Amino acid sequence: MKNLLEHMGIEPERLHFSWISSAESTKFVDVATKVTEAAKSLENKEKKFVKTKPKVA
Amino acid sequence: MKVIRIDKNDWAEGIEKIRKTYSLIGPVKEKFYHIFANLGSGQMPDMEFTNSRISPKYIIYPQSEIILKCSMNAEEEDYKIYREPEDKEYKEKAVLGIRPCDADSLPVVMRNFDTDEYKDPYWLRAFETTTLVGLACDAPCPSCFCTSAGSGPYNHKNLDVMLIDNKDHYLAEIITEKGEKLAEAAGWQDKAEGIADEIAKRKSDAESKIESNVHTDNLAKQPLLDLYEATSIWEKAAFACINCGTCTYVCPTCWCFDIQDEVYGREGFRIRNWDSCMYPLFTLHASAHNPRGTKLARLRQRFMHKLKYYVDKYENGIQCTGCGRCVRLCPVNIDIRRICNMMNSYDPETCTCEATVS
Amino acid sequence: MKSYTDNIKEISKRLLKEDKVDMVIGYRTGSVPLMHQPFFAQNQEEVDEFVWDSNCGLNLANYITDRTERIGILATGCNSRNIAVHIVEGKIKREQLYIIGIPCKGMVDRHKLSAMADGDITSVEDENNGSITITGQNFSKTVDKAEVLQENCSVCVHRNPVIYDELAAEEVTEQKRDDVDPYARVKEIEALSPEEKWAHFDDLLSDCIRCYACRNACPLCYCPLCFVDESNPQWVGKSIDHTDVRTFHFLRAYHCAGRCTDCGACVRSCPVGINVRDFTKKLEKDCLELFDWEAGLNTEQRPPLDTYRPDDPEEFIK
Repeated sequence: MKNLLEHMGIEPERLHFSWISSAESTKFVDVATKVTEAAKSLENKEKKFVKTKPKVA
Repeated sequence: MKVIRIDKNDWAEGIEKIRKTYSLIGPVKEKFYHIFANLGSGQMPDMEFTNSRISPKYIIYPQSEIILKCSMNAEEEDYKIYREPEDKEYKEKAVLGIRPCDADSLPVVMRNFDTDEYKDPYWLRAFETTTLVGLACDAPCPSCFCTSAGSGPYNHKNLDVMLIDNKDHYLAEIITEKGEKLAEAAGWQDKAEGIADEIAKRKSDAESKIESNVHTDNLAKQPLLDLYEATSIWEKAAFACINCGTCTYVCPTCWCFDIQDEVYGREGFRIRNWDSCMYPLFTLHASAHNPRGTKLARLRQRFMHKLKYYVDKYENGIQCTGCGRCVRLCPVNIDIRRICNMMNSYDPETCTCEATVS
Repeated sequence: MKSYTDNIKEISKRLLKEDKVDMVIGYRTGSVPLMHQPFFAQNQEEVDEFVWDSNCGLNLANYITDRTERIGILATGCNSRNIAVHIVEGKIKREQLYIIGIPCKGMVDRHKLSAMADGDITSVEDENNGSITITGQNFSKTVDKAEVLQENCSVCVHRNPVIYDELAAEEVTEQKRDDVDPYARVKEIEALSPEEKWAHFDDLLSDCIRCYACRNACPLCYCPLCFVDESNPQWVGKSIDHTDVRTFHFLRAYHCAGRCTDCGACVRSCPVGINVRDFTKKLEKDCLELFDWEAGLNTEQRPPLDTYRPDDPEEFIK
């Protein structure tokens, strides 16, 4: 899934997989922070796979 | 009827002039085939095309169209009250190079969108603001059968202007007032006299190039239920059919649609999209029952609608103009000519029919 | 040497006569060039309509899903692999089938040929010496078949059927992955930057009219209700919005991961000529690299995304 998304042009930083147990709250916070930062630091801010208004023709 | 002569050297200049009052749509080669597209400033229509891959019906009847809008903000007065969008534009537009078969599909579709009971405002407004500058067809495809489907390569009945390519110039038949207005705006006024015979000859030449035809004389007389139950027609065709919507989406006369609501933030949109009788979802009831639950039933519906129900209901020929697109593009070669001839020749006594494509 | 068509007719007639099968699924000549029609024969006369040449590019495995009859079916390399996938996934029983194996020399690309012609093609001659002649009103052109093969056929490494009961011709030499790179095009896309990739697929899908011919021509897409047709909840919008169009293609492809045999039916059936394989071929490559897996090579193993193995690659989990 990650590979195909990247193949289509989604930046690798936008999709992240981690094993986090329900007991590992600090790890969750840590991962979430890192992923958000990675996504924010991307040069391209264009939202992909987000519909903002209907495109019709 | 007035015929004018447009020198090809004056063609571009005329186009530039009408650009001021009309938005222009014309054939453009995209990737490896032609489509009808909006012509940007300075862009000329490619009049050397055969026909567009997909029918130009979307000019008047877009594949997806916003028909109503509403506020999804609970604090506003018209919360969830659907209204026509204010920003819908119906600017005068001109379609350059539309083929007679595609223009002839418009009155067919109109029978659905303009009835005594219901008038579809979107279709009608788009239709009324469109001027059709047709291009007579001198080199029809081998799979065209317009002459036996109520149309023809030089059929100008549903055009406003019909252009005939005549080497260094076009002969333009001015058919309607809309056409007159457009020719005036373009500054094309050079009257061509004494060419009626030549046009008639060109017409019959073009017609003789149409190699295939369908037989429709018997369709109205055929007993409806017998055709409906004619397994010999439906079984083999339905086997091959993969129930995609290609035939219905490329067809200029298919008019069915589906309504969808979509919400974006605090705005709601009601969108009309083309639909296809080939899809199971087309007839799926809320109860989960599907009256056309099988592939055979759906395939039969398409052909019965075009070649029987329509024929019986409107008494105005078949719901097909012979453009041949479905013949060329069906991925499994289900040929409407073959099916039509089978329906026409079906003998309820013996349950047999002739499967010919000529 | 007897032609493929003759052998196919002979075998089919025998099967029907000996009552080994109720029907044989093959092709009959289409009413327009480059387009043969999938067709089933139940008697000797119908068998006479059978034809086999380079215009039989759909996948006949699509036509046996959930059928209950005893069926004779023609199967090329990719078709036979899809039959195997069907058997593994319980869509048909091996005992129901009599597979007539067709060592395949590839199918011609109808989009390519039409683009090469100076006008409309009225007839196509498939010479046995590996050339194709197309004729129209004012032209006639002979081309090397290798040049006009469907892209999936030109890089195919399984031309011979993997399961069959009988062959209709001698096996053909297989191409080796070292000689033809099946993934050359995938690698080209992989080399692009994310923005370029996004733009590539935007352009690829810009003509899509959502007729779903690709989905319906695919033998893998047999779900009674496709996710794009689901309305409660509704996953995907139905307009021609780019996001919805891309979601459809992306998710459909993903549903085929590890099951796709690159038969090319999706590309062949597309009315606007979209190379749907730009999605599916990437998944095929990933399955080969990550799981050492090629779909449909046997009738026992379930596809990798269907099973769990302790040694499944997990480098993506960080």
